[in-house]
Amino acid sequence: MSGGSNGSTGPPQGTPTAGSASVAGSPTPGSPATGSPETGVRALARFRAVAADPLAELAAVKERTGLMAVGYFDSYMPEEVIMAHGVLPYRVAVTGREDLRSGEFIQGFACPASRDLLDQALRGDLALLEGAVFTRYCDSLRGVFAVWDSEKLTPYVDFVRYPTVTKTESAVKYLAAELREVSARMAAALDAPADERRLLDAAAACNRKRALVAELAARRASRDLALSGADYLAVLVAATTMTPDDFTSELSALLAWPPPGEPGDALPVVLSGTTFDNVALAASIEGAGLYLIADDLASGSRWYCVNVETARLAAGEGSGMYADPWEALAHAYLTRPPCSVKEPSSPRADHLISQVRRSGAAGVLFYLTKFCDSEQAEWPYLRDRLGAEGIPAFVVEGEQKGAGSGGLQTRLEAFREQIEMSGDEL
Amino acid sequence: MSTRSDFRPMRLEATESLKSLIKTYYDDLFRTAAEGRPSVWLNVGVPCEFFYAMDVFPFYPENYGAACGAMKLTPKLSAIAEAHGFSADLCSYIRTTLGTVFSGEGPYGQLPRPTVQVSAMNSCVAIMVWWRAVERHWGVPTLVLDTPLVREDSTGINLDYVESEVRRMLSWVEEHTGRTMDEERLREVVRLSNEGKDLWAEVLDLRRARPCPVTAADIFTHMFPMVALRGTPQYVSHLRALRDEVKARVDEGFAAVPDERYRLLWDNLPPWFDLRIFGELAQMGVNFVIDTYTQAWGPRYMGPIDIDDPVRSFAGYMGAGFLNVQIGKRLELLTELVRDYEVDGVVFHSDRSCKPFSLVQVELRNMLLERAGVPGVLLEGDHNDPNLFDRERAMGRLESFLEVIDSGRA
Repeated sequence: MSGGSNGSTGPPQGTPTAGSASVAGSPTPGSPATGSPETGVRALARFRAVAADPLAELAAVKERTGLMAVGYFDSYMPEEVIMAHGVLPYRVAVTGREDLRSGEFIQGFACPASRDLLDQALRGDLALLEGAVFTRYCDSLRGVFAVWDSEKLTPYVDFVRYPTVTKTESAVKYLAAELREVSARMAAALDAPADERRLLDAAAACNRKRALVAELAARRASRDLALSGADYLAVLVAATTMTPDDFTSELSALLAWPPPGEPGDALPVVLSGTTFDNVALAASIEGAGLYLIADDLASGSRWYCVNVETARLAAGEGSGMYADPWEALAHAYLTRPPCSVKEPSSPRADHLISQVRRSGAAGVLFYLTKFCDSEQAEWPYLRDRLGAEGIPAFVVEGEQKGAGSGGLQTRLEAFREQIEMSGDEL
Repeated sequence: MSTRSDFRPMRLEATESLKSLIKTYYDDLFRTAAEGRPSVWLNVGVPCEFFYAMDVFPFYPENYGAACGAMKLTPKLSAIAEAHGFSADLCSYIRTTLGTVFSGEGPYGQLPRPTVQVSAMNSCVAIMVWWRAVERHWGVPTLVLDTPLVREDSTGINLDYVESEVRRMLSWVEEHTGRTMDEERLREVVRLSNEGKDLWAEVLDLRRARPCPVTAADIFTHMFPMVALRGTPQYVSHLRALRDEVKARVDEGFAAVPDERYRLLWDNLPPWFDLRIFGELAQMGVNFVIDTYTQAWGPRYMGPIDIDDPVRSFAGYMGAGFLNVQIGKRLELLTELVRDYEVDGVVFHSDRSCKPFSLVQVELRNMLLERAGVPGVLLEGDHNDPNLFDRERAMGRLESFLEVIDSGRA
């Protein structure tokens, strides 16, 4: 079997490197007149560099702009709120580095991704941040907040009393009011008042970058653009590290001049899970003959579909419920495809299945981060829903550390062989 | 470490009467189902008072899980849940209860399928996914009542939102059960609930006596009525009997642990499968004179409820429930308890199955030592799964901890 119904278009082989003279790209119809095949190659190289060292990117931006930076930790936190204060938002990505510092403050059964975030702060890596804002995403992250807050790991620490219920009007109203209160505290703590005009501009800029990521994902899914899953993850990390305008400029270049990839015979699968930032681990997964053609990640397709209705608001046409920009923001973030920590969660399964269908993936790889209660409990349901659709699914549990183990490779190869032998084609 | 091998803790008579209380409760549960009357599964963060006032039988799977834990059934039931794909790392209450739901095995056989389920977010995310699993397996209509995590108190927009959530829940339950809220009955239920909570507060307060009249194990077993029977006449009569008995012990100068040498505080749920450990520690002169778990049902976190505005009053307590506040409130509570109960040291039960309770304990231990000068020790374990509790290691750590206390005295 060559992998799925479109198995001839696997992950790109020998993905290009920046400045490689042998690599040529073709401009997308309608792409900017300026540019060259090298444009896309350079953009990809930039994304890879940012994902490899996001803090270096933050340092460079701070140096260039002189702005303060506030970190956040999960994709339910509207970065627009931070931007409204003229402050740089920075989603603290999971590094996957081995470190034991957090063990002095929190037990080992906190999820390793949460502990990774704490390790970064305890190492002093996040000294660039003037502040940090948490939401109650999960019980492990809540524990990290407690330590962060009491140890004052950043000068300003705040907490959004975030709703869990996402589908009620009262939740939207409440979150909007809560974001206003957080904004007021942020303004006082950083001496950086918010500006509603800037909030709208921020939402518009973030809409643009999210829409471009959605376009990238769609073109990957349709095999119009060959980019490895690892590189796609690098783009996702860069999306919440770079300034929106800078990111949008680079991704526009990549989309206009996509680096060429050669069709491979890897098995296309959808990667499902929560936040997943480990590019090396993704590369390792793809090294087992899988192609991460699409995703169902909290930091991926469940995030980039957020769209704040800014155009209507900016034109002064806002009316009714979401005439208020804070409510528009709250509505956009609450109505995204939900994570398993939100209620209801069942639309997540529909979203996952749609990712499989539109990409022609041969199956789903569910990456279960150890000690993640909500994902552990959601897996049997997702497995059954996928099974009812005839979609093979496979779970691997890990700590999002390093590039994965030999055992992981063996299991992934078994998954691939299992699908190939069963002849399941979607 | 010297021990008194002939020592056996004297059980409270009220503990003996609990058995019939529990039996009656489960009889009522099954009778309710047999007669086709509505029932509801709740987590402990949702007040049963509303449901008694609506004549919808409230059942708490966490209580059931604890009972299974005490009967050492968790490994067997957990294996069933794990065979259905649920991770062994999940909360042991979840694995225990789902084991029964999936198989019908358990101390009472299969539990009756509830009419509806309600969970509140004021304890943990795991509760929500637990109810979700039951919803999917049995097709039970389920509602999540939102109580966003707060720093200290539920006030302002947060309280307004939680109140609106409580009202949404009440309307939803009425719609799905066909029962309506009887306002007058609610007032009476709340009155009884307040009366019982006052008695409970007295019991907790009586534990301040030197020597302490009860052991932690004595009190932990009384969590069942505190959770599931609040607002009923039998709840009040039981607590009155408990209070009277404990008070009589204090008046007599009765020592639950003769030669009480170490007055300790237990933080977190107990290991339900091994409450005997408290008796063994008593042989070393150890008594856990107070704990944080039972405080969650005390006046600080549960009442009194305003009879004239019960919905908003309940909302305030739900929004700032024991596990729905941040570390500052936990530290405040611990600091007061170690002072008021003259505590020599704190045992932090690092419970693998309760992240919200546990994941702040390292920090709390350090802060408490710094601010109150009271030492603490972390004890790795689990509230229901004996496979996650190394008893020999735990006893070793506790004995070392007692030496630390001794050295501090010297």
